[in-house]
Amino acid sequence: MNGTRASLRLSIASLRTHRRRFAGTFVAVLLGVAFLTGTLVMGDTLRASFDTLFADANAGTDAVVRGSDVVTVAGETQGTRQPVGTALLKRIERTPGVAAAAPDIQGAGQLIGADGTPIGGQGPPTLAGNWIDDPELNPYRLAAGRAPAAPGEVVVNRGTAERGGLRIGDTTVLRTPDPVHVRIVGLATFGGQDGMGQVTYTAMTRADAEKYLTPKPGRASAIQVRAGPGTSQRELVDALRPVLPEGVEAVTGQAAAAENRDLISGAFLGLFTTLLLVFSGIVLLVATFSIHNTFAIVVAQRTRENALLRALGAARRQVLASTLVEAGAVAVIASAAGLAGGIGIAAALQALFPAVGFPFPDGSLVIGAVSLLLPLTVGVLVCLGSAVLPAVRAGRTAPLAALRESAVDDSGASRTRALAGPVLLVASVGVILTGALAAPSVWLSAVGAVLALAAFVVLGPVAATYAVQALGAPLDRLRGVTGRLAGRNALRSPRRTASTATALMIGVAVVSLFTVFGASLKATMNRTVDRSFAGDVAISVPSFGAGGSGLSPRLAPAVDRLPQVAAAVGLGKGVAKVDGAGRALTVTDPAALGKVFDLGRVDGSLAGLGTDGIAVSGTEAAKRALHPGSTARLAFADGKRREFTVRAVYDRSELAGDYVITRQAWAPHRAQDSDSLIAVSFRPGVSTADGRAAVVKTAAAYGNPEVQTRGEYARSSAGGIDMMLTLVYALLALAVLIALLGIANTLTLALHERTREMGLLRAVGQTRSQLRSMVRWESVLVAAFGTAGGLLLGGFLGWVLVEASAGDTAVAFDLPPLRLLVVALVGIAAGVLAGRRPARRAARLNVLRAIAAE
Amino acid sequence: MTTAVPTSGPTPASVPASAARVVDAVKLYGTGDTRVRALDGVSVDFPAGRFTAIMGPSGSGKSTLMHCAAGLDTLTSGSAFIGDTDIGALGDRRLTLLRRRRIGFVFQSFNLLPTLTVAENITLPLDLAGERPDQEWLDALVDTVGLRDRLHHRPGELSGGQQQRVAVARAFAGSPDVVFADEPTGNLDSRSGQEVLRLLGRTVRQTARTVVMVTHDPVAAAHADEVVFLADGRLVDRMPDPTAERVLDRFKSFAPPPLAQAVTA
Repeated sequence: MNGTRASLRLSIASLRTHRRRFAGTFVAVLLGVAFLTGTLVMGDTLRASFDTLFADANAGTDAVVRGSDVVTVAGETQGTRQPVGTALLKRIERTPGVAAAAPDIQGAGQLIGADGTPIGGQGPPTLAGNWIDDPELNPYRLAAGRAPAAPGEVVVNRGTAERGGLRIGDTTVLRTPDPVHVRIVGLATFGGQDGMGQVTYTAMTRADAEKYLTPKPGRASAIQVRAGPGTSQRELVDALRPVLPEGVEAVTGQAAAAENRDLISGAFLGLFTTLLLVFSGIVLLVATFSIHNTFAIVVAQRTRENALLRALGAARRQVLASTLVEAGAVAVIASAAGLAGGIGIAAALQALFPAVGFPFPDGSLVIGAVSLLLPLTVGVLVCLGSAVLPAVRAGRTAPLAALRESAVDDSGASRTRALAGPVLLVASVGVILTGALAAPSVWLSAVGAVLALAAFVVLGPVAATYAVQALGAPLDRLRGVTGRLAGRNALRSPRRTASTATALMIGVAVVSLFTVFGASLKATMNRTVDRSFAGDVAISVPSFGAGGSGLSPRLAPAVDRLPQVAAAVGLGKGVAKVDGAGRALTVTDPAALGKVFDLGRVDGSLAGLGTDGIAVSGTEAAKRALHPGSTARLAFADGKRREFTVRAVYDRSELAGDYVITRQAWAPHRAQDSDSLIAVSFRPGVSTADGRAAVVKTAAAYGNPEVQTRGEYARSSAGGIDMMLTLVYALLALAVLIALLGIANTLTLALHERTREMGLLRAVGQTRSQLRSMVRWESVLVAAFGTAGGLLLGGFLGWVLVEASAGDTAVAFDLPPLRLLVVALVGIAAGVLAGRRPARRAARLNVLRAIAAE
Repeated sequence: MTTAVPTSGPTPASVPASAARVVDAVKLYGTGDTRVRALDGVSVDFPAGRFTAIMGPSGSGKSTLMHCAAGLDTLTSGSAFIGDTDIGALGDRRLTLLRRRRIGFVFQSFNLLPTLTVAENITLPLDLAGERPDQEWLDALVDTVGLRDRLHHRPGELSGGQQQRVAVARAFAGSPDVVFADEPTGNLDSRSGQEVLRLLGRTVRQTARTVVMVTHDPVAAAHADEVVFLADGRLVDRMPDPTAERVLDRFKSFAPPPLAQAVTA
């Protein structure tokens, strides 16, 4: 069709002449697509690397014999399995098709580095186990030294030894959690790598492992089995099944490796990629606004040109098509560049990770079809979608518009907006309040949040008028006519100002949402400690991640004996199914618990729980219809079922958890004995400093765990939050960058429209620096509007998130003034930055040529 | 032809100090084959307190002369003065400040900032300088241009003639040494044009201001006290107390073909 070719020619000509105008669009699409591609490629590559790693490491294991029952507690990925008796080993070895079998004892063990501080424990687990002599069955390989043969001898994975500055021949302490003095006799690798990510691994002799990692000898976490020649994994499992007692199962090595891999993929990679995908979504959303704005302006500026085309006989469809083709061309080129960029980012990260101490598994980048097609499609759709409305508007250009003077889009806020906006806003607030307060539901709140965002977008132009006037008022007074001009310019097209600011608003809103949410979590922790922690100091394991090996169960009694200490109560963790549902248990001395925790109102007594009594929190009791005197059926991971009598129902579960049982009741069912928190209260008259010094001295002999005051304990409980916030800020910096580019781009385009005006201003005596300042202040006003909207929206949604995620637990809402002020300043600084280049370019303007410009 | 052109006006001794002048002004555009001598050694002074019109066919260099004299453009050689200030020696900032304080401008079109009200447009140069306007003078100006009831309107709400009158008021608001007007009636119908020209003339005579106006319209030139004629970048004649007929006659003698266009335009 000739007409199509004509519009195609027009598009290409336009792209060529207005290359500069599309630079901003190009970069926005490119960054968004690059982020998305990078995320997908990174995810695939990591997943593939872990696949290979696990497949390689476990290649020699053909079957795994293990307890069939798993107790899983909310918030934990792995769950607890019943141990297997090692007596089974003989029977397994005699089974036809079995070449070798070895017990696999696994537990927690944290090694102390050469400098006296524990290695790891701030995330990935710190594992200890028995060294399996059969090299086929052991996922670890000796890289140096020899296998442990005598008591106290250990092999450590090479990465851990390097991190801790430990060498073969060194002696150190392994917390299991009781300190064990060990000597390193060998270094090991996992699947050819220095370790399994940041996981630390210490292997001892089987006798040591049984002694320190299991409650009594004769039990292992699992038994690894190797098949003889000619026996497949499937056949091996089938042969093993008849010899296994009830409650013990056999799975193929492949299945077990896949489970392990999925665990890592699910827990670590899943979270990692989901987070990144959400952020690429935000980045692309921000980009959408920037792109839409660019096209809207370009179309407005081209009104006369399009009208001329229409007057000369171009069909509406042809004008529309020429705009869309333009958008499509930018989209495809920018998306392709983004793809390349994303792959580059992934490659760079792969190279960078080992440098920052994260052993990224080797292997080439995995670039799947999805990683290519999805970002490309999304990039093109975002770009085309953003251009559709402006293109339709271009098509609607009346031929008569060619004759009109003004080619500037000075459209204000329409009545539809003024009506639809408030309706949408009220609806969103309604939905949100229902979701946050009446029927707490994160999903309902999320729907409300989307509605609120839509309301803000629709109301933007209406709000822009008032907001810019209000924000610009001080400028008028401070900066005189320069400030006034900046304000008036920002007000010229409220729609344009609003949509430019929206990009920044979204970025700032997400930043403030996370800021508020993070601060609220911290405030909640503070309040919890304030309300419920009645002690003076706490000895705790890192709250973030697996928490190392925990605390020695003998530490609490040792601290309790100190003359300064009134009470020291250790709390350990247990798991059991309560009426069929996995639940975490708090294992402690319930009688003493009241001395260090404020449990609120207690029905019944915690004093005499014995081996068959249990205390339950009020909320959990209400949910399961338990009350003092009623019976709770617990099923433990070792397969034992016991009935417990509820002897007390307490009010505050923030620190004590939902179920409390005695050490005596837990002892028969536990694997490794450890505490995760020891709460200490001092005798009257003992200063915190003195008491703490005494506790620190005692604790030194038990692996030197950290002794924290109440404030430190509250802060460390929220320690992971700051880390998450830092990551979120880093990711959102990209969104803010795109918004900044959008402001700069809009400003450049707007200044292009105002060339004559600026020429006039310069002619009648505006200095270059006044002109620069005028442009900059306009940029700052737009940014300030976006930032204000973002703070408002983010603050509100932060409150919603806090309320909606609260569920039963009481949470504290906190608006951190200092952090939000920093966010506001960053937003405004973005405006200053965005205005720099357009301002400089405007100042270079030739006065005469500007006055003569069309 | 750079020698002083004889004039039949007052004797040199009684000529007032010049508000603006150019000496041996040469302005070249382009290079090589495309080189154009827009000004070819022009020396002319614009006496203070007078209304001078610069006339010439298109391409004669009249606009270039005005731009260079007003500090909007720079000369290739020669010098330009506002009062006693050699503007060729000024950097961009000093030149801008000079334009702001000592020069007023009226352009052919697009004289006003659409975002500012009429009143704000009038005081724009003063506001840019951060100076308080002389309220009495301003009131007198507003009355002279007859826009008191429009002070708080935006330029978009005004007719073309009204807009040019605002521009005239703006040009005089800061009591500049000289006002340059570049075809101020070029975009107006003849009635509005007449009004603006009369306004310019009246302001000069009543308040002893200096106006230099570029035009190709003999009727417009007739409002001036004196007309200087430019052709091919050179000053060819000066005519005191012009009338439209005499200007037209004089004009015909050195530029017949473009003149016909200019007059009928």
